[in-house]
Formats: sequence, structure tokens, C-alpha cells
Amino acid sequence: MSVWNPENVTDVAESIGIASLNRDVVEHLARDVEYRMSQVLNEALKFMRHGKRTTLTTQDVSQALRLLDVEPLYGYESTRPLRFGEASIGPGQPLFYVEDEEVDFEKLINAPLPKVPREMSYTAHWLAVEGVQPSIPQNPLTDPRSAELAAKGSSANSTLAAVSGNDNIAVKPLVKHILSKELQLYFERICGAILDESNEEYRSAAFASLRTDTGLHQLIPYFIQFVADKVTHNLKNIFVLTQTMQLLAALLDNQSLFLAPYVPGNVPSILTCLIGKHLGNPALDGATTHFALRDYSASLLSKTACQYGPSSSTLKPRIARSCLKHFLDSHKPFGTHYGAVLGLAMIAGAQGVRTLILPNLKAYDLHLQEGMKDDGGKREQAEYVKQAILRALQTLQEDAVMEMSSNGHPAGEALRERLGAVGEVVGARVFESGREGLIGAVLERDPVV
Amino acid sequence: MAVQPPPPLRTESVGPASAGGMGTPTAGTPVGQAPGAGSNQNLNQIVLEYLSKKGYSRTEAMLRRESGNIAFDATGQPVTFDDKFKGRRWHEAYSVVKTWIDSILDIYKPELSRILWPLFVHCFIETIADCFPGEGRFFFTECRKPFDDEHSDDLRALSNVQEPEHVQQNDIAQLYRTNKYRLTLSKMGFATLIEFLKTKEGEGGKSINFLINNHLDIRTVDRAAIGGVRGLQKLMEEKQGDEQAPAEDEGIPGHHPGSANLSPDATGALHRLQLAPMPMEIDLMDDVKAELNHEDSSNPPRPGRSTLVEQFEQRIKVEPSDDTAPSRDSIPFPPSTARDVAMEVQKVKEDRDRFRIEGKTGGVGPGVSVTMITFHNTFDTVNCVEFSDDNTLAAVGTAESYIRVWSLDNRALASPQDPPGFQPSSSRRLVGHSGPVYALSFSPSAAVPAPPTNGHTDHQSSPDSHPRYMLSCSADTTIRLWSLDTWTNLVVYRSHNSPVWDVRFCPHGHYFVSSSADRTARLWSTPQIAPLRIFAGHDSDVETVAWHPNGAYVFTGAGVGDKTVRMWSIAQGTQARIFTGHTGNVNAIACAPNGHVVASADDKGVIILWDLRTGRLVKRMRGHGPGGIWSLGWSVESSVLVSGGADCSVRVWDVQPSKETQAKVNGENGAVAKVDGPAINGGAVASKVGKVKGREQSTADMISDFKTKKSPVYTARFTNMNLVVAGGAYLP
Repeated sequence: MSVWNPENVTDVAESIGIASLNRDVVEHLARDVEYRMSQVLNEALKFMRHGKRTTLTTQDVSQALRLLDVEPLYGYESTRPLRFGEASIGPGQPLFYVEDEEVDFEKLINAPLPKVPREMSYTAHWLAVEGVQPSIPQNPLTDPRSAELAAKGSSANSTLAAVSGNDNIAVKPLVKHILSKELQLYFERICGAILDESNEEYRSAAFASLRTDTGLHQLIPYFIQFVADKVTHNLKNIFVLTQTMQLLAALLDNQSLFLAPYVPGNVPSILTCLIGKHLGNPALDGATTHFALRDYSASLLSKTACQYGPSSSTLKPRIARSCLKHFLDSHKPFGTHYGAVLGLAMIAGAQGVRTLILPNLKAYDLHLQEGMKDDGGKREQAEYVKQAILRALQTLQEDAVMEMSSNGHPAGEALRERLGAVGEVVGARVFESGREGLIGAVLERDPVV
Repeated sequence: MAVQPPPPLRTESVGPASAGGMGTPTAGTPVGQAPGAGSNQNLNQIVLEYLSKKGYSRTEAMLRRESGNIAFDATGQPVTFDDKFKGRRWHEAYSVVKTWIDSILDIYKPELSRILWPLFVHCFIETIADCFPGEGRFFFTECRKPFDDEHSDDLRALSNVQEPEHVQQNDIAQLYRTNKYRLTLSKMGFATLIEFLKTKEGEGGKSINFLINNHLDIRTVDRAAIGGVRGLQKLMEEKQGDEQAPAEDEGIPGHHPGSANLSPDATGALHRLQLAPMPMEIDLMDDVKAELNHEDSSNPPRPGRSTLVEQFEQRIKVEPSDDTAPSRDSIPFPPSTARDVAMEVQKVKEDRDRFRIEGKTGGVGPGVSVTMITFHNTFDTVNCVEFSDDNTLAAVGTAESYIRVWSLDNRALASPQDPPGFQPSSSRRLVGHSGPVYALSFSPSAAVPAPPTNGHTDHQSSPDSHPRYMLSCSADTTIRLWSLDTWTNLVVYRSHNSPVWDVRFCPHGHYFVSSSADRTARLWSTPQIAPLRIFAGHDSDVETVAWHPNGAYVFTGAGVGDKTVRMWSIAQGTQARIFTGHTGNVNAIACAPNGHVVASADDKGVIILWDLRTGRLVKRMRGHGPGGIWSLGWSVESSVLVSGGADCSVRVWDVQPSKETQAKVNGENGAVAKVDGPAINGGAVASKVGKVKGREQSTADMISDFKTKKSPVYTARFTNMNLVVAGGAYLP
């Protein structure tokens, strides 16, 4: 009659020494047990609901028991769902039990500690920008079926549906929002102007306009796209790369534009110009022109990071990570290393130099020496990198606490040897510079983190 | 005595109220259960003789009449309806009514079908109380189908009631037994019902009549005359839309729609509410004005913009004549400080500078931007997510009893109590509770940025505007106040005797309100460890609380069994409004910043808007999947509502009353609505909402629906600058 088997009640009664129970009593008890269990479950569901979960846990049940003034069951606390084993004690009579693994004590003690679970953390992204969901990895792919349904549901809202691309595919316009003729014309003119090698005046007028005009917001995505396109297709052309970087700088300068949502689209282009493998055509522009471009990109990057770092907590770490990766990769040319060192120094500051560059200098020294020995163009390039590293180290000096612990460093050869910790080439230069502060900062082997 | 048809003797339309004690079979057990077959007649004779001899003439007459009513079976035993079906008599009685209502004229059907639920509950309870567990269970499984949608929670709570003592102990059963379920029927409908029950008196009509008299409170209205939302036309429409929702005055509380007056002869007149914003302190106002003047002179507004002082004056001036403001005397606050001045100044600035969200204009909803903050590696232990008003702090309460706070701008969270040399990180753990933490609330704060430079954000808030306190509540029945300067626990508030589900700071700080599984909500002030007010009245757990923006009222929402939203006055400590209409647990409530509308959401995925002044339902909005809407938020202009919930979506809603409702209101004001065919059909064309092929479809007032990637949305709200901030946990 009841779901709870009355046999169970008889069994329990027998186990505590009550041999014969009246059939009515047994059934009554079985029904009561069933009701009590459902009562506990109902309470437990409340705790599940308030825990904003969809699975009931043993903790919920313990909480429910506590609420009903019953002593909770101990020994079932578990963060993962319990596994039930099934044993058959007769035809159609399965018996379920909690599987208890047998654990070898010796083994358990000697086993390596399990991995620490990963730390809870948060990320932020745009779920929607002005009513439209951007298609970034953090957002789910739009399921055409659900889009269809949603569009039907908000039938009065067809314009918005069209904007978000949920409209009928056949009439989906290529341009999702309408640009005025004037803006289109402006865009074409600007793009033409800044790539015009012959007319300096024309170019500067275009940049000036970008820096000051107030109504350009609608064009930002197009400019970003333009830059990305040009950068990917013109890696050999220093002029185009420089111009596109200047275009970005001009946009960044414009006080009336809000670039925060577009920064993630911006950064790859700048990074390419900073740490790209081969920028420009050495035969045409000379072997070292690309360093100027890298310098410029580095400053642009640091400006971006300063302005938008606070609104996107992962921006700086991401940039620093990719810079460091390229710095540590000795197969990359010196140009890339140069850019990476610049980027690290600008993004992460003295702290970053201390923790990210300084410990790696020793390893890098080998590579640098190789470069210095080479008689070809490599020597010149390596020289640039050396300068960049020294510049980075100088930031350390500025940052260091000026207490001048002059009890400190041995003189002469001993000092030179200790400076070897940052690599021979760089160490020698530091030594030669003879500047107390710089030496002190470099030797301060105590990263304050 | 021969078998004879029972003459219709009863003249009154109601059954006996005397029958039906606990556990005893109700209504008219035959006089004697004689052992022998033939002896029954003799026995009656003997008793009759005895009575006439003693001169008990009236008792004799009664006995004669009653024995005349009794039919006898083949063996001469008296057979009544009750005896014939024994445990199945309530089932039979219910079935009779159900079949009748199913086949009745369409005009009565919508309203009469509402009576089935309370009858179902009572028939079930009576069967169980009569000690027929098997029959009770059979009846329950057989007849529960139509109520699965609307009353699933109640059904679950009742499903395992099997013994009379369970009836005594089950909350829902007791609720229905000790209260009268109020229902509004039209006069004609009710009369037809009574007439039908009379003709079926022998087949269960009497039992049903007994239930209606004892456990139901039926109000009759002339629907044709009143028209409007309670009119027949509306009822027909709802039926067309297949929308099963209780009327606003239906249910256990038994009150006029919106009114909190529970006495049976209440007139339905509503209390006047004080909905206007709380007036500012005079000193504070002067200080703010001086500060704004200073600001204006040092930072003159761009041409075309109003000065801050003008903005401020305008802000104060907006005082609709039909709203009174609560007086500062009735709700005392500590004197204002420099911090309050800074916050007020910032509010005025935000008022001027924010991106305005207008309502749905020209059929296109406003484009809303949403920032989603997703928590990773939570292993589903996060119970709640909360952001501070100035958006610099995020806090989560976990099932593991601790609270974790992050700084959203990567600022180190330092404390003066840190040991020297300690490197504070941008996250802190607050340990103190001994049970899962269910809600958090930051004290009010405002983001006071450095002089704004055209959207280029650099949020260097001046330190004194940061939130200084946070409240948390937990299953360990305590509420704790944490200092956000030292990151330590300051006060433990003990008074609730069940898990505390929700806690909210007053919009002006100082006070807070908490709600608990002990069916009360309590008002506290931070310096006192005992509650100032206990709001008792809900019939089940108070799941959620919310404040009215002027701080003079709080709203509470209850779960299974009750499902009402109630509004309480802080000053009086009494209920000011009761709103019924939800069919699931009320999970979230939010009052519009203009103070006139409150939105509540339940775990069936329905959001209801209520008008506070009239106490009436404005509209029902659906679209969320089941599983609960956990958070609601209003735009600053009260023009748009945002919601987030278990179905991993953030949705934006238009709150303007839908056209049909407006038309209806006009109709109500104008001529009496006609109740004839064409009119009904005309009205029925309107909203056709409901389930389409099992999938929930959204109502037309949903502006947008942003899905997240496997991240249930725990909180979604507008910032003071009208950007939506949503928080959720990624659960792969």
C-alpha cells in the first residue's frame, strides 16, 4: 500500500527485540515513516532552493533535520554525490547501499597529497552592449532555434531583433546599423589620407580631426577593423604599420570617445607591431627602422593599459604574459625580444622588471653573447636589446628605496662577479656605468612580493 | 419498512455545520448498527415507543423523519451515501462536482473551476482524517492532474499525508483546515452550484455543501455590473489564454485585493500610503547646496547642461500632490555626516550625467548594456552574490559558511589590524557563521569618481564614500554585521529561531530587515541587538525582503502555502498591503525607484507588477524558464526592469501597463462592460499567452533576453548610471 515497504519496519522491530508486531501497526508505522521522510525532503528542498542549486546534497538533508529538531545523520557529509551500490537479495528485490571503499591505511598516508582545488576567482565581460549581445567566447553561441522563439515572443520588438541579427537571414544587412552617408564618406577620406605617403599635410590633418572630432563613436569598430586588416596584411610595410598605430593613438587621445569595449580588439594589433617577428623590409628601410615602430607601439600599449587597466582587471596581466612568453623564447629574433622587454617594462613597471626580467637575465645572457659575437646585422640588433634591458633596469633604480645601504657591495672584481648574476654582457655594462644606485637596485635580490 | 425515495425535506440550502469532528466519520451516521437483519425495524419501534411514553415528542418526530430518509439495502441495513462508499465517499462527491463543472456552460466554467482546488484539498484531507489512507492516496493520484501546474508545491507537501496525525501536523493541511479559503463567484454561478448540490444531495452534494460551509468563504459579486478586471469578460479572456492564475482576492488570506484588512467584513477600502521620497534633513540640504555651488563654480557645466544646483532644486521639487511623504520624526535616523553630504552630491551629479533609459518608445525597447561578472571554480557552493552600490566590491556567501569579498578594481583590501609586513591582496575571507550564508547586503555607498573626463573611467573613489558595513545571514539563525574597514565581525544579531533567508539594508542605512524560516520578518537597527519590529503574518517561510525607496515600508514574499507578497509599514509595524497571485515561491522583490510599483518574481518564472496605491495587479510577465528568478532590478527612471535567474539568462522587461490592461481600465471608468457574445469574443483576441508545445513562451513585454554560458544569474541590478551589473557562477 505504501511506497515504504512494511517489511522494513518488521525487520527493524525484530532487530531491537520486538518479535511480533501487529500487521496494522506495521503498516501504520510504514506510512508514518514515509510521511516523515517526505517531510524531511520538503524541508531539504527549501535549503537547496536558497542555496540556488538544482541538486539536493546531504548537507541540505542535515540542515533540514536540524530545522525539524532531529539529530542530523553523521558520516554522510560529502561534496560529491553519493554512489549507491545495488545488491539483489531475491527476484525483484534490489537492495541499495552506500558504497564504502576499502582504503589501505598505509597507502593513504604515503600517497602524495591531492591537488589543491583551484582558487575561486571572477572574470568580467560584456553580456550585452546597448541591447546587443557581442559574440565573444564568454557568451554562448546564439542558437538559431531559440533566437527564432525569442523573436516571436517579442514580436513588438522586431527592430531590436533585426539589430541583434535574429531577423530573417535572407534580408540580414551587411551593415548592422545604418551609417550616415557623411560618416561613410568621412571614413573613406580618413583612411585614404593616413595612408597617403606623399602628402604629409593631408595626414596630419586627418589625425588632428580624429583627435578632436566628437561624433566618431559609430565609426570606432570600423577603424579598429581597418587597423587590424592593415596590420595583418602589411607586416612588411613599416609606413603602413606606423600610420595605423598613429591612428589608434589619435583615437585614444580623443576625449569624447569611449574605447573600453573595444580595447580587447585593439591590443592584438598593437602587440603585433611591438613583438612581431619581422616587421618591415630590411632591404628597403634599413635593418633598424623597426625599432622605432616598436618604441612607438610600446608607448601606445602602455597608454592603453593605463587608461583601461582599471576597468579590465585582466588586461595588464594578459599583455605581460604574452610579452614574457616572447622574451623567454630564444628562437625569436632580437627584434621581438626588444619589443617584449619594452612592453614588460612599460606595462608592469619596476615591480615587473624585478620579478619578470631580472631573474631571467642570466639565462638570456647566453643568447645575447651569441648575438654580440656575430658580425652580421645581428650584433647591431643585440646592442638594441642590451640598451632596452639597461633602460628597464634603470627603472629599478628609480623605484628602489633610496636608503643607500653603503655597507653593501664589494668593490672591483668581486662586484663584477656578483653582477654576473644578471648575465655577463649586461653585468659588465652595469659595472661600467659605475652608478651606485643602479648596482644596488640590480643586486637587491629580494623581490618584494 | 419499504424502500422509499428520500423526500426533499431540507429547505435551507446549506448542510449541517455540526458534523465532522476530527477523526470521526462525519454527517449522519445511522442511529443504530443492530446486529440482526430484521431487528432494525423492531429497535426503531421500541425506541419510538419509549420516546412517546416519556413525552419526548420533538425527538420522536426527528427520529421518524430521519429514519424515513434512510434507504435500506437488501438485508434491511440502512444505506446512506456515506456508508455505500465508505472511504471513497469524498472521492465520489468530488467527482460528481468535477464532472458537472467540466460540462457546465462556458459562462460559469472559468470561475467555478476555481472552486475545485480547495474542494480537492479538503476532500483529500477528510478522507485521510477518516482513516482511509489507501483511498486517500488513490484519490490524490487520480485527481491531482489539473493542479500540477499551479499548485505543484502544495501537492508535494500534501502527497505523503497518510494518517490523521499527519493531517494534524502538516502545515498545508492545517492551513486549509483552520482558515477559510476565499473565493469570488458571480451570483448566478454560485446559485447554480448550490442548486446542483441540492439535486445531488444523496450522491455527495451534502458532503460538498458541508465543505463549502465550513472551509470556504465564498463572496458573490455581480460580475456584469462591476466589469473591469474582475468582470466576466476578463475571466473569459483568461480562459481563452489558458492562463491559470488565481484571482487577486482568492486564497487563504481572504482579503480584498491588495488590502491588508483581514477581518471578514472589511470594506475593501485601502490605507493611504506615504509613497513620496523621504524629505531631506534641513542641515544636510544646506550643506549639499553649498557643496554643489562650490562644484558648479570650480567645474562649470558644459553648455546646454544644467548646473548641479538647478538639478538639485528640480530633484527636490518633484513632489506629486497625491503622495504624502513619511515624516522624519516617525523614522529617526542618526544625524548626517560629511559622508552623507558627499553621497547626496554624487547622487545629484549622477542624476544629471547618467544615460537615461526611457520606456519602450515606438515599439523598440531601449538598448541596455550588461556587464556580467562570472565566478569560477565555485563547485556550486556559492549561495549568493552581491555588489556594493559603488561597484567597487563584490561579495559571495558560500555553503561553506564563509563570505568572500573581492575588490573589483584590484585594490588591496588592507586593514589597520594587519600584522606589519602583511601584504593584503584584493580579496578577503570573512569567517564567523556556522551555517551556509544565504544573503549579503552592503550598507549604502556612492561611487565618487575623480572629476569626470568624458566616459574615460578612472574610478578613484574618495575613500569616505566606500561602503563601510556588510550584513550577512545564515542557516545558523544569526545575522552578522561586518566592518569593511577592519574586515572583522562587529555584531551578531540573534533573535530568529530558524534559518535566516534574507537580509537587506535600508536605502538610507542604519536600519535593516531580515526574513526567516520562522515565518517572520524582523526590523533591526544596527546599534541594537534586539529587533525593533517583528512582522508576523505570513503562513510560511518568508523567503525574501525588499525596501521601499523612501525607507518607510518593507516588502516580504513567502513560499509554499502562502505565496503572498506583503507590504509592511515600518512606523506602525502593520501590514499595509497584501498581494496574492503568485503560484510559486516568491523569490525576489524589487520596488521601483519612483515608489509606486513593486515587482515580484516566483520560481515558476513569472514576474508580477503591483500598483501600490490601488493595491492591484498591473501585469504578469512570463518568459523565464522554471527554476526561479533570483534577482530583480529597476532602472533609475523606473522605466525598465531587469531580471536574472536559474535559467542562465538576464532579461529586460518593459514595465508599461500593456495595452489591453489600459483599455480595460478605460472600460472600467466608462460605461458598464457588456457581457454578450461579441464583446467576449472581441476581448478574447487580445493576449494569447501560454505554453506552446511544452515550451514556455515569453510575453510581448520582454525587451531582450541575454543568455549566459552555463552561468545561472544570482544577481542582476542597475547601477546608478543605468548599467546592468549581473553576477553568476560558471557551472560547467
